[in-house]
Formats: sequence, C-alpha cells, structure tokens
Amino acid sequence: MNLQNLSIRRKLIFITMLTSSAALILSSVSFLIYDLISFRRQLSQDLMTQGEIIAFNSGAAMAFKDESAAAATLSALKAKEDIVAAGLYSPEGKLFAHYLHTEKSLPQSLPSHSQEASYRFDKGYLEVFQSVTMNGERVGTLFLLSDMRQWSIRARRYSGIILIVVLICSSLALLLSSKLQRLISKPILHLEDTIRMVSSNKNYEVRATRFYGDEIGRLIDGFNTMLSEIQQRDTALQRANDELQTSTHELEVEIIHRKRTQDELLTAKQAAEQANRAKSAFLANMSHELRTPLNAIIGYSEMLEEEVQDSGKVANVHDLKKIQTAGKLLLSLINDVLDLSKIEAGKMGLHLESFDVSTMIEEMVSTLSPAIAKNANTFQLNASDDVAMMRADVTKVRQILLNLLSNACKFTDHGTISLNVDRSAFGGQDWIRFQVRDTGIGITEKQQENLFQEFAQADVSIARRYGGTGLGLAISHRFVQMMKGRISVESVPGQGSVFTVQLPAQAAVEQTESTLLGETGSGSDSSPEVKTNADTILVIDDDVAVRDLMSRSLTKLGFRVVAAASGEEGLRLAKQLRPLVITLDVIMPDWDGWTVLNKLKADSDLAEIPVIMVTIVDNEAMGRDLGASSYLIKPVDRERLVTLIEKHRAIRTSTLAQASAVPASWPPKGHKSSRKSEAVTIRRR
Amino acid sequence: MPKILLVEDNEMNRDMLSRRLQRKGYVILTAVDGKQGYSLACSETPDLILMDISLPAMDGWEVTRLLKANENTRHIPIIVLTAHAMVSDRQKAFEAGCDDYDTKPVEFGRLSEKIENLLVERKLS
Repeated sequence: MNLQNLSIRRKLIFITMLTSSAALILSSVSFLIYDLISFRRQLSQDLMTQGEIIAFNSGAAMAFKDESAAAATLSALKAKEDIVAAGLYSPEGKLFAHYLHTEKSLPQSLPSHSQEASYRFDKGYLEVFQSVTMNGERVGTLFLLSDMRQWSIRARRYSGIILIVVLICSSLALLLSSKLQRLISKPILHLEDTIRMVSSNKNYEVRATRFYGDEIGRLIDGFNTMLSEIQQRDTALQRANDELQTSTHELEVEIIHRKRTQDELLTAKQAAEQANRAKSAFLANMSHELRTPLNAIIGYSEMLEEEVQDSGKVANVHDLKKIQTAGKLLLSLINDVLDLSKIEAGKMGLHLESFDVSTMIEEMVSTLSPAIAKNANTFQLNASDDVAMMRADVTKVRQILLNLLSNACKFTDHGTISLNVDRSAFGGQDWIRFQVRDTGIGITEKQQENLFQEFAQADVSIARRYGGTGLGLAISHRFVQMMKGRISVESVPGQGSVFTVQLPAQAAVEQTESTLLGETGSGSDSSPEVKTNADTILVIDDDVAVRDLMSRSLTKLGFRVVAAASGEEGLRLAKQLRPLVITLDVIMPDWDGWTVLNKLKADSDLAEIPVIMVTIVDNEAMGRDLGASSYLIKPVDRERLVTLIEKHRAIRTSTLAQASAVPASWPPKGHKSSRKSEAVTIRRR
Repeated sequence: MPKILLVEDNEMNRDMLSRRLQRKGYVILTAVDGKQGYSLACSETPDLILMDISLPAMDGWEVTRLLKANENTRHIPIIVLTAHAMVSDRQKAFEAGCDDYDTKPVEFGRLSEKIENLLVERKLS
C-alpha cells in the first residue's frame, strides 16, 4: 500500500506511531548499551578482585609446589557459577593446577602459557591473568575464565523489559493518536463530506462547520465564504433566469395576444370586406329594384301624357311632365349611387376603345340641349382640328362631360356655357383636354376643397335649391383617376367656374382591357370573321426568324398574327383574311416585295389595307410611290411598329364606328346602327 | 300591321309597353317568361321580339340563343332590354346574337325608333 494514498486518519496514526516508537526504541537501546558496557566493566573489576584473593591464597601452595593445596584453593571457586575455568601456572609458565566448573568444560580452554597480568574479553568470555606472589616474589600466575553469565542474563532481561515497554508505549500511542488525530482529520473529513454534498446535490445552502480556530478552521471559513459567494451568484443567476423566463413567458403571452388580435383584425377585415361586398351587392340589387317601379312611373306618366294630349285635355300635361321629371331625376340619382358603389367595390372596370372625340361630343351635346335651353343659356363648342381620335372608356368620358356640362347648365342662368377641346403633348404622351366653362354662380375656395369628395355638395342650401346627390363630381373624379388623368377647378364666385379634365389620348393598358381582349378573342361566336380580322396582322417575310419574332411580339399585344413565307402565299392570305395591317419584306425569292405591293394595291378589295414595309432595303421613296403606308428599316424598332399598327387599328375602328352604331370591336350582324338612331332620336326632341 | 312579341315578366312594364306600342299601331303578343316567349315566337313568328333579360324559367340570353339557332326564327330581329347599363352586357347581347339593345327604364321614343329601324331594314332585305 502506498503511504501517500492512505487516508489522513491513517497517515496521522502512522506518523505518530512511527515517531513515538522510533524515539522510544532509540532511547531504550542507548540506555541498554550504556548499562551493559558499565556492567561488563564492573564484572571485570569483580573478577580481578577475586583473582587477587585467590592468588594471595594460593601463594603458599605455589611456593611450596603443593599441587593439592593449590587445587583445593581453586576448587573454592565452585561457588562462583560464572567462572567456568581457572588455572595456576608456574613461574616458568607451565600449568600447575587447574579447575573446571563442569567436567564438560574444555581443558584446552585454558591457555598453555601464562601471560602478564591483564584481562581481556574474547568471544563472550572474560579472561583474567593475575600474578601470584609470595613475600614479594613472583611464584606463579593465576588464570580465570568467566562466561559472563550475569551479563547475558541482564542483557536478556533488559531487552525483554524494553520490548514490553515499547509495546505498551506503542499501544498507548496508538490509542492516543487514534483519539487525537480527529482534531485534524475530523474537520477535513467533514469538509470533504460537505464538498461532496454540494457537488452532488448542487445545494449551495449547506455550510461546513468550523470546529477549531486553526488553519483548517480558516480553510473551512474560506470554503464557506466561497460557498456563500457561489450561492449568491447562483441566486442571482437563478433570479436572472427566472426573470428571463418570466419575460419569455410574457413575450409568449404577448405574441399569443397579438396573434389573437391579428386574427381578430383579419376576421374583422374579412367581415368588413364581406359587409362591403354585401353592401355593394345590396345597392346594385336595390337600384335594380328601385328602377323597376321607376320604370313604371316614368312609362305610365309618358303614356298618360300621350293619351291626354290625344284627348285634348292639355291642362293635366304639365302635372304629368312634373312626374316624369321627378322620376328621371330619381333615376339619375340611383345611377350615381350605383356607380359609386361599383367604384368602391372595385367592380368598375375600364373598357378602352378608340373613338372619334368630336362625334362623341356631338352626340352628348344633343342629349344636353334641353338642359342648356332650360335656363336660357347659350352653348359654345370649340374643338380644335387635331383632337381626332382618342383611346379611352367612352362611356366614362361621356359621363364625366355630361356631369360637368349639366352642372354648368344647372348653376348658370342666362349665361354662356362653353366646351373647349384640344390636344397637347407633354410628359412623353398626348393628352386630350376638355374644358367646361360657365358664367354661373361660381364656387368659393372653401367649397372647392371638398368638391370632388363623395356626398359633399358645395353647400347644403344648394342641394335644396338645385337638387342632386353631390355624387356626380366624385364619380367624375374617380373615373378620371381610373384613366390616369387629372381634373381641376378654377372659379370666382359670382363670375363662373372652369372645370378642366385632362385625359391621356391613349389610355394606359389596364388589366380590364386585356381581360376584355381575351374575352373578345375567345368568345367570338357572334361574328368571328369580322372581329378577329380587325385584329389580324399578316406578316409576309421569307425569313423564318423574322416571322417568329413578329408573331411572338405582336401576339403578346393581343393581335392575331398570320405569317406567309412567300409573296404568293401572302397575297392569297390577304384576300382570304382581309387583315388589319400587312407587313411586307422586300427581298424575297420569286416575287419581291415591290411586286407584292403592286399587286395588293392593284386589287380594289385589298388596296385599302395598310401595308408597312419592313426591310433592309433603304428605299422609302419607292415604297411610298407604290402605296405603302409606312416604311421601317430592319432591325425593326418594335415600339414604332406597334405604334403604327395601333394607329391603323384606331383608324379602322373609327371607320367602322362611323358605319355602325355600336363600338367597332363588335359590330352587329345585319344591323346598321343603334348609336346613330339614338342620336337621331335626340335631335328630334 | 307588324306583329311584336313582348317577353317581359314584370306586369306593369308589360302592360305599359304593350299599350303604348298598341297605340303606335302594332299588334302585340305578350309572354310572361322565357319558355312562353320561345314557344310563342315559334308558333306566331312575330316580326320583332322585345326581350327582357331577367326572366323566370329561362333567361333572355338563353331564349335569344335558342331563337337564333332555330332555322325558322333566326330572321326575327330581337331587341334586348336590360336594367344593367354595363358595356359587358351590351357585348353579351351582341354575342348572343341580338340585333339591338336598350336599357330599362325604356325611353319610349328611342325604343320605338329602334323598332322602326329594324322593321324597315327587314322589309328591305
């Protein structure tokens, strides 16, 4: 067992034992040695003294050579047990008489010759030589041999005693050290226990007990201080942890709360949207329901009026007309409300089409003529020549202008109402400007602020005096916004107002328009031929790459593209399809572009179809001479091509519109014109 | 005298319109729903049909489509009457094969103009 790995308790006992035993043994042994040495000296003194006595007694016998007397003297030594042999030597040195304590004693143990008086220790025996004198004369020599029996006995006894003492002392030391080692080991073991408890239970609240004020006591103090420190930190850590947990929990609660709020908001939003949709549906429904009885009111009053006039009772006609006017006013109010609800529900789409502005204005003005005449106003129309075509939602443009003009009529008495229309270009596009000017009551600046807002008439008193919902301008404003235009007002109260509407000459392609185009393309069961061909473009080019490219880019814009690889095929397709536009390459095998162009223009059926030359040959003059409407040099500027095609489409649409009553994109079969008849009706009234 | 079939479910509208048209000298047949309208159109072969759109049993679009698909009735001009002044409705009307279109409440002068036009046109053709 390794000493170093022993427990402290054992170490302490071991050290104490070792130290005390070593000290005891050392002291005992030194004492024993000293005692034995001095005892041996004493023994040798005694033997010398005895020798002197025997030598004196045997002097006479030696002098007289009396052997028996000498032996008798020697035999007196019998009482002395430790003297094992004795001898008397003649002066010559020869053995004269001898004595042996036991017969077994070896005679050879006696030296054969005498020696000078002395003593010596030899092999556990003590030898003494003593001179025998008679009257001062040396007569012989005495020899004594002692086995130092007393010394041996003493040494043995002492050793035994020492052993016993050592054993007793060791036992006592063991007992004491076992008891006393606790002074040191107990606190250390306790400390160890405490440490084990702390580390296994992670319990920092326990404290080691301080037993004594020694170094271990201080060690324990230090340990306890350390523990408190750790405990404090642990507590702080725990607290921080708890706080963190609490805040995490709070955060979670907050998140849940927010999520719930979000859900609620979403639900509320959905409910609101649902409610709004329901409202719009209700309004749409209601206005339908309102229109049906109104229909009857207006219709019956008109009928009655006719009957009354036929029967000659003219007195009632005035009243009947009042009923009609009220009914018509109510109808327009319902229409306004319906429009606004549609706008708010996001169901009001744009239906873009190209139309001739002056035609539209003409129709509108004839509709308005009774209103103009009502307050004895005069009307002036100033339309500049360059206005021509525009692309927009014609219904909405008409409604905007009707609203502005009827407002002007309503608020002007014996004055002038004028409509100015012109075209201008800024911001990279063409704009059509409509300006409605009156000499009426005007609008104050404060009133102008809310003018375009829903349900905000300039003045409550105005509503009472002039009627109306106050929705007209709001609707106009929304319509103008939808077409990416602007509406503004300038007015001096008492002098008149100027409303200016600016609309893009080519309204932006809105989603609604593309939907419309899509519908037109697919659901074409009524008049597929005319309809599709209005959007068909014939591409004549021998290069397949050019055909592909044109086809792809134009199809994307809603056109139907038919391609021909040769002039002959192109001509055949042109006859068959009557396309909107033909694009024509010049350098082709067999017939070149000039030949094809010649043939196209020579055919009276095809001469009207615009031809756009698309070629690398730079000879625009030739193209123009032969009748091409435009000339583009490859590589083709796509924007330019599209603009040209759009222009031709607009012209074509307007031509058709003039020939037909309905918008050109869907001219009806076998019927000339509803719009024209409408206009005729208005003019007659 | 030209014979006009009026398909209209609303009694007042039907009564009013038929009386006014009668005063103009037309012979008026009336139908209260799509089915009756279709069978009357087939049996009586009127010179013109005024067709309301929202009808019970079979709506105006459906009746129009059927009449335009029928060899015997295809030639009869149809004027659709609808409460919705939407462009999409007008488009739908022409797609269904109608010959003209008007919105309710009917402006009688305009409607009778349209009727006259269609009748004259048909006589010419």
